[in-house]
Amino acid sequence: MANYIPTIGVEVHVELKTKTKIFSNSKNGYGQMANSLTNVVDLGYPGTLPTLNEEVVNLAIRAATILNCKIRHEMFFDRKNYFYPDNPKNYQITQARTPIGYDGYVEIEINGEKKKVEIEEMHIEEDTCKSAHRGTKTFLDFNRAGVPLIEIVTKPCMTSSQEAKAYLEKLKELLFYGDISDCKMEEGSMRADANVSIRKSEKDPFGTKAEIKNIGSISNVGLSIEKEIERQAALYDKGETFQPQTRRFDDKLQDTVLMRVKETGNDYRYFPEPDIPFVIITEEMIEEAKKGIPMLPDERRKIYVEKGVLEINANKLIQNRPLSDFFNTLLNENINFKTASNLLLGDISAYLNKEEKEIGETTLNKERFIELVNLVDSDTLTSKNLKDILTMVMEQEKTIQDIMKDNGIENITDDGEIRKVIQEIIASNPESVEDYKNGHDRAIKFLMGQVMKETKGKANPRLAMELLTEELNN
Amino acid sequence: MKYLNKSITEIHELLKNKTITPVDLVEEAFENIEKNKELNAYITLNKEEALKEAKELEGKEVDNLLFGLPIAVKDNIITKGLRTTCGSHILENFVPIYNATVVEKIKAKHMIIIGKTNMDEFAMGSSSRTSYFGAPRNPWNKDKICGGSSGGSAATIAARDVLFAIGSDTGGSIRQPASYTGIVGMKPTYGRISRYGLVAFASSLDQMGPMTKNVYENAVLLNALVGKDEKDLTSARREEEDFTRFIGKDIKGMKIAVPNFLMGDIVSKEVKEKIKDTIQLLEKSGATVDYVDIKYLENAMTLYQIIAMGEASSNLARFDGIRYGFQAENIKNIEEMYLETRGQGFGEEVKRRIMVGSYLLSGENAKVYYNKALSIRDDMRKEFKKVFEKYDLIIGPTTVTTAYDLTDPMDDPRKSFMDDVLVIPVNMAGLPGMNIPVGFDNKHMPIGMQIIGNSFEEAKIYQLGSFIEKSLNLELTPGGEK
Repeated sequence: MANYIPTIGVEVHVELKTKTKIFSNSKNGYGQMANSLTNVVDLGYPGTLPTLNEEVVNLAIRAATILNCKIRHEMFFDRKNYFYPDNPKNYQITQARTPIGYDGYVEIEINGEKKKVEIEEMHIEEDTCKSAHRGTKTFLDFNRAGVPLIEIVTKPCMTSSQEAKAYLEKLKELLFYGDISDCKMEEGSMRADANVSIRKSEKDPFGTKAEIKNIGSISNVGLSIEKEIERQAALYDKGETFQPQTRRFDDKLQDTVLMRVKETGNDYRYFPEPDIPFVIITEEMIEEAKKGIPMLPDERRKIYVEKGVLEINANKLIQNRPLSDFFNTLLNENINFKTASNLLLGDISAYLNKEEKEIGETTLNKERFIELVNLVDSDTLTSKNLKDILTMVMEQEKTIQDIMKDNGIENITDDGEIRKVIQEIIASNPESVEDYKNGHDRAIKFLMGQVMKETKGKANPRLAMELLTEELNN
Repeated sequence: MKYLNKSITEIHELLKNKTITPVDLVEEAFENIEKNKELNAYITLNKEEALKEAKELEGKEVDNLLFGLPIAVKDNIITKGLRTTCGSHILENFVPIYNATVVEKIKAKHMIIIGKTNMDEFAMGSSSRTSYFGAPRNPWNKDKICGGSSGGSAATIAARDVLFAIGSDTGGSIRQPASYTGIVGMKPTYGRISRYGLVAFASSLDQMGPMTKNVYENAVLLNALVGKDEKDLTSARREEEDFTRFIGKDIKGMKIAVPNFLMGDIVSKEVKEKIKDTIQLLEKSGATVDYVDIKYLENAMTLYQIIAMGEASSNLARFDGIRYGFQAENIKNIEEMYLETRGQGFGEEVKRRIMVGSYLLSGENAKVYYNKALSIRDDMRKEFKKVFEKYDLIIGPTTVTTAYDLTDPMDDPRKSFMDDVLVIPVNMAGLPGMNIPVGFDNKHMPIGMQIIGNSFEEAKIYQLGSFIEKSLNLELTPGGEK
């Protein structure tokens, strides 16, 4: 196979997390009984008119801000006319000429190198209804009709499946953390199409384009791009050409298959939607929308690492939004954040996964967690002991110290008592003392072990270590 | 005893002192409609429900002028539980599940919907002859058209079946039939009345309005219909006003413009003469009347055709037989379902306009035609604005001729647009306009004058209209009994 340079662009549809639909007051929800979230407007009844949900405009401004887009100050909607049973008015209200956002970018990182994926435009539109085919019949569920969408279109600026995947991961993270969409590809609240062409040299014009529609997961976007590059290269290698076309990714075949060859001049008869007057976007609206943006992943990552969290753990926290949000409530506290992150990602995550709970559903509030971090950090509570009382920590409302007391986990912090034990152990282990003095580090660990054994693990390890070192150096 | 030929204030008094009840009025209305059956003014009558509603009103306090009065509603206005056909086969059996905002409003006034009036199919036409249910006839001469598209509403008011009707006006469809039947018909400012529940023909032009036998009753009904509606983003938020407030006031010092275009060669001599007579009357009464040129008026018809047909092609796309309305039988696939349902469901004129509209929006055409038309429309609005900087009102004939024969050929669409050539500029500019009868031709068919106001100045139109009405004191009941 000769070498080709791929050109890749990605279009993403994201359903906005609004309470109601974009042009009616029907509820916006998923997984409800078919046609239970619909009204005469969604059904395109004669005489009905669209209203405009302000929450949609607000979230779209927020998305445009997060995607570094310029925001249009005066926009209108267009009608895209085409007949299809899932399209109740047989036109879709969209923004063909005045997309709310344009000229943006998303920064991705590939093998340590940063790259800006350029966003051509992002616009607001309504979702269609959902059709299901059973035998010779087609069933229509209008719950999805009128759910608000934003469509985000990149420039053809990516050159590998890795870039496309990294872009989608990043986009998903941003829109999810921006509280714009729940971005569940499996439920269709985020849907991706990839445009792929290849050419021999950057000097050549772009090759013939294939569009792969509605790919169900980010990994399959990567796979379908790779397969498509292979397919196109094989054709070119044989000296063949192909028509611009629409394909889809087939899960069983793990390959793309042809849906249709693109007809030229697909005519949607766009014209400005006369039922919705111009929308003026003021600076105040933009400021208001910006205020609603929660702390985004990149900033979280940076702060976590600055606070001493390992980078790998910072990323793990961010992958778990509830934990990350919980962690964010601690950022002004004077605690050991490394210990805090270890606790959250270790024992606490294990508990939450096993119990299928979110942290907010446990009794571990901010105050008790701070207590826990400090106890662990000062070695007052050992990790072994924590494991013993974890369920109580997560399910009871007592202080952690009370729980420790209930379970006989004591902590000897009396200098004199520990010193006495240490002195006895030094006296009865002269060889180890000798080894220590000759620089054998192992010896002090052995002696420490003896101390803990003698105190049945109740000595505060940090205090014991301090005193042991002191006694040995005497 | 007959009541429905009396004035609204007389009827109101009779209701208040319990001489009559709403049931009497509803029964009389249905007697009238039965007597005038051959006018074919109605597509659907609401007899049972209307009588029931009238009975329910009997114990209630007569709390407003419109209380208990029967009203006819054009059949492109959505009425819950009452068949709404738009004069089309495709909605022949369509019974809506919600009410238009105007319907809610008239119900809030305890008015009683008596039936749904005949109209051109989807309001596309100017003689009501494109109705799937046959054309209505003109009460002044049953061989004549009553105009359109609100022909049924015009006929039932002219025949004095009821006091009130609602029409809709996209390119003259209230004012033109009002002119042909000798009644008062107002198309208010675009945005004055919520369009929610008016089956859309051309969204940026459609506006409903009152049709009545006189100016005062028209203004009273308009009072009840207007207002910002959260369900219609194009409806206007305005301070509440009483549209009757200038009625009876003097017109001394009023400045009136007559566009030369409205008095040009296209207008018949007889019509022009009557308008000139009226102008003289106004001048004698202390108004100043100037002839003016308003740019783009001669383009209004072209702009109208582009905008209205373009929008209509999209608005009527929803009639596909899937969710409501007629669905063709024996269809094999989706493609056939669309073709057969729409092919059999729509009449010729509607199909013609959908086709032309689709063409006008296709590919580059949208830019060349539709977008350009929108921009010239803006220019035209500015021209009207300039006139209203100097003048209170604009007047001219409503139609170029009086009502013609029902048997006149319909095969020349350009001719049918000529019926509306004088009324269309008002829709293009979104302005209020009203027809007021000013006389008759030699065959005793009514001649109408239109009064055009600046945006949201309907009250001023009523002022001039009522002055003319009072001064001319015409006998406007067909057959003569006043």
